[in-house]
Amino acid sequence: MSGQQPRLLLLVVIFVYAALLAPLVIVLGVSFNPGAGFDFPPKGVSLHWYANFFSKEEFVSAFFKVSLVVGLLTALLATTFGSLAAIGLVRLRFTGREAVEAFFMTPLLVPHILLGAALYLFYARLGMKSSVLTILLAHLVIATPYVIRSVTAGLAGIDPGLEEAAMSLGANRVQAFAKVTLPLVRSSLLSGAIFGFIISFSDINLSLFLSGPGATTLPMQIFSEIQWGGDPTIAAASALQIVTIGMLVLIVQRAFRLRFVV
Amino acid sequence: MSTVELEVAGLVKRYAPQVAIGPLSFSVMEGEFFSLLGPSGCGKSTTLRCIAGFERVSEGRITLGGRQIHDVPAHKRDVGLVFQNYALFPHLTVFENVAFGLRLRRMSQAEIAERVVRMLELVGLPGQARRYPAQLSGGQQQRIAIARSMVLEPRLLLFDEPLSNLDFKLRVQMRNELRDLQRRLGKTSVYVTHDQTEALALSDRIAVLSQGRIEQIGAPADIYEAPETAFVADFIGSSNIIEAAVTRNDTTGSALRTTAGLELLATADPTKIADHCLIMVRPERIRLLEDEETDVLNRISAEIDDITYLGEDIQLHIKAASGERLLVLLKSERRTRALQRNAKIALAIDPSDIHFVRK
Amino acid sequence: MGESRDFRRPVWLILVGPYGLYLALLLVVPAVNIVIYSFLTYSPTKIAVPVLTAANYGKLCDAYYLELFLRTMKLALITTMICALLGFPVAYWLARARPAIASLGLFLLVVPLMVSTVIRVFGWMVILGRNGIINELLAILGLSPVTIMYTETAVVIGLVNIFLPFMVLPTMAAIERIPPSLEEASTNLGANWPQRLVKVILPLSLPGLISGALLVYSVSLSAFITPVLMGGARVRVIGSQIYDQVLVTFNWPGASSLALVVVVVTLLLVFVALRTTRRLARLEVGR
Repeated sequence: MSGQQPRLLLLVVIFVYAALLAPLVIVLGVSFNPGAGFDFPPKGVSLHWYANFFSKEEFVSAFFKVSLVVGLLTALLATTFGSLAAIGLVRLRFTGREAVEAFFMTPLLVPHILLGAALYLFYARLGMKSSVLTILLAHLVIATPYVIRSVTAGLAGIDPGLEEAAMSLGANRVQAFAKVTLPLVRSSLLSGAIFGFIISFSDINLSLFLSGPGATTLPMQIFSEIQWGGDPTIAAASALQIVTIGMLVLIVQRAFRLRFVV
Repeated sequence: MSTVELEVAGLVKRYAPQVAIGPLSFSVMEGEFFSLLGPSGCGKSTTLRCIAGFERVSEGRITLGGRQIHDVPAHKRDVGLVFQNYALFPHLTVFENVAFGLRLRRMSQAEIAERVVRMLELVGLPGQARRYPAQLSGGQQQRIAIARSMVLEPRLLLFDEPLSNLDFKLRVQMRNELRDLQRRLGKTSVYVTHDQTEALALSDRIAVLSQGRIEQIGAPADIYEAPETAFVADFIGSSNIIEAAVTRNDTTGSALRTTAGLELLATADPTKIADHCLIMVRPERIRLLEDEETDVLNRISAEIDDITYLGEDIQLHIKAASGERLLVLLKSERRTRALQRNAKIALAIDPSDIHFVRK
Repeated sequence: MGESRDFRRPVWLILVGPYGLYLALLLVVPAVNIVIYSFLTYSPTKIAVPVLTAANYGKLCDAYYLELFLRTMKLALITTMICALLGFPVAYWLARARPAIASLGLFLLVVPLMVSTVIRVFGWMVILGRNGIINELLAILGLSPVTIMYTETAVVIGLVNIFLPFMVLPTMAAIERIPPSLEEASTNLGANWPQRLVKVILPLSLPGLISGALLVYSVSLSAFITPVLMGGARVRVIGSQIYDQVLVTFNWPGASSLALVVVVVTLLLVFVALRTTRRLARLEVGR
């Protein structure tokens, strides 16, 4: 319907997108700043702060030993258990199935900061100190619902007749599932996994409470540095996160052409 | 019914860089029911949307009642559009749906009520005013959609395949009612459809479109009986199209020889003869001969390849002695029902039933 | 679709059991823990003594807390309204854009959403700071610098920025379900674009808008990172209070009672959002 949209619309859209993307663009720009100030546009291009990032133990540890590790493990475990749960929810019929499904989705409704506080108190009661494990356990809670939703949606779109056809050709139930259904939900699984990683990798509200001398995530490290002054190394760290996440989102959108349902 | 109400001149619509439709030109007379007929993708809906104002015209003029409208914004054209999916507002009652356009024109409540009620009676749905579209059947929704456009008394009514969502029997019934309504109100209408039966039944004139161009414009009988191009011949009804060379052409008629060697006689239409041409014969015009009829013009000996029983008709795929494969449609009667595959039969075509068509 | 026949009990246990158990341990138990804490008595030396009391909830009615609630709700409300105002046009544009453009638009919307809040807020600190970009621009124009950081305005700017995608996505989904032919029909009947907006688009996209608004409001209520970084000590919200009480003053009973109240309110809001969406869905085409 050409020419039916007011010109004003495009202006507002551009303004909103500019405001939405400005902080990211600026962070990326500042990270290349040769000087010590947060200048934008940067007065030159220098990788100094990136070098600084990799030289600082706390940053490197936060990125590689904590955030990346927890992220990958979250993706793996959330996908495994989440898919199993999704299969159970879609393919089985049992009383209270809707209630169970709603229960599984509750982590999505609880504000992360409250969950963080609750887990902190819980770990304290158990005497558990902050570690990769405690953070991983927390991230699994918030990441798995996304996997469940993704795989549920993927499974719901598959005709059970396909498995029946496989069985009529001689496959048993498990074989039919593995050879017919699984390949078809592969994209839901992968995108759920990537989503799980992103949720874990970018989490701050849980990390706020659960980070400690035992383990600190990258966002938490960035947060501390901001509060204590900091230099453009923060920008370099942030830029690395932006690029990582940006690429993953691109992969999900391109390869799986999936829409994000919040 | 003698003045031109709508004129489309040299209409071109480009989806850069290709040309989607055009150049197209046609005129619709006041009060006429004019159809745009063609297969999907032929550009008929695009043309309609250009007239309605939902597509911008790349080139050409559209004039309505003497006023150029191709530049006028869509909400200011005096044109009513009935959509394929009815596009009734689900959140408004039937009354409010029909009153929608009237409210925008700031009429008084009393006048709006009067017009809406009158229109609802006209389309045969009095008393439905308080209901919601979702509570109505497909046929009823269609009538509300028509009422909503008609109540504004536009100069021109456009229909975008409005009956294609209805089942067969309902479609036939609605078709008749639509024709009736249009005749009674005398509204100039342009109707888009891919269903040739619909177009033939409803229209005063039909424009057959293919790939963005008009193949032929004419009254239904002309389109059917005298198609000008192979496309039109094939799209409307079924046809046998054969290549032939003209061996003789004078005032008594023309003699043709098809590529396979079949000799035929046809009545001449001097304007259409070229040395090589395409001839078209309708399957139902091919006659089955009795064994005794031997002295007949255009006698063809053939063998039956395949028979399909269609209830009212019997369809034959035959292979002529000269090699042509033809489609023949015969009325179902004892003699034709007795035909068997591989049987040898004799057929004949009246010379006046052989038409010349362009590519 | 997607359903098949009944299984014997054990199978579903294997499939659904693990995660169910996991949630029970890591969501339900901590929740119960919180409830228990909320009824214990705070002790500066021992954090909490096992003396049941409702005093923590009582404290929530103090002037201090009332001011806290009012401020947080006020900021959340303003954020929601601005998100609605700015988000609706973006949602409409995305819903009606050509697939290639919509894809790009979604990408540019989702990436900020996925990037950690800290980073996005950090970017805004650079923009709005004393030596930030805004002031740089003003200096170039010869105007005196403005102080935006550490004010409620800055917090709202930050919150709108962070939560805008939460408003856009459900609204966009709702608008996508409105067939373009409805808009064309209203145009054909004589409506210009403001009339089209008010009479057709808004009524039919209301479920999505309300969903989005309630979502934005509820997450704004419990926001912490944004208010803390953009507002500092001058703009205290519920989130800051909880953080302080858990990690600084160790008033875990107090924190628990506050957290519970927020959770209950949040869940209520979401519940209302779901109910409204379902009731208004009656008006959606094709239902």
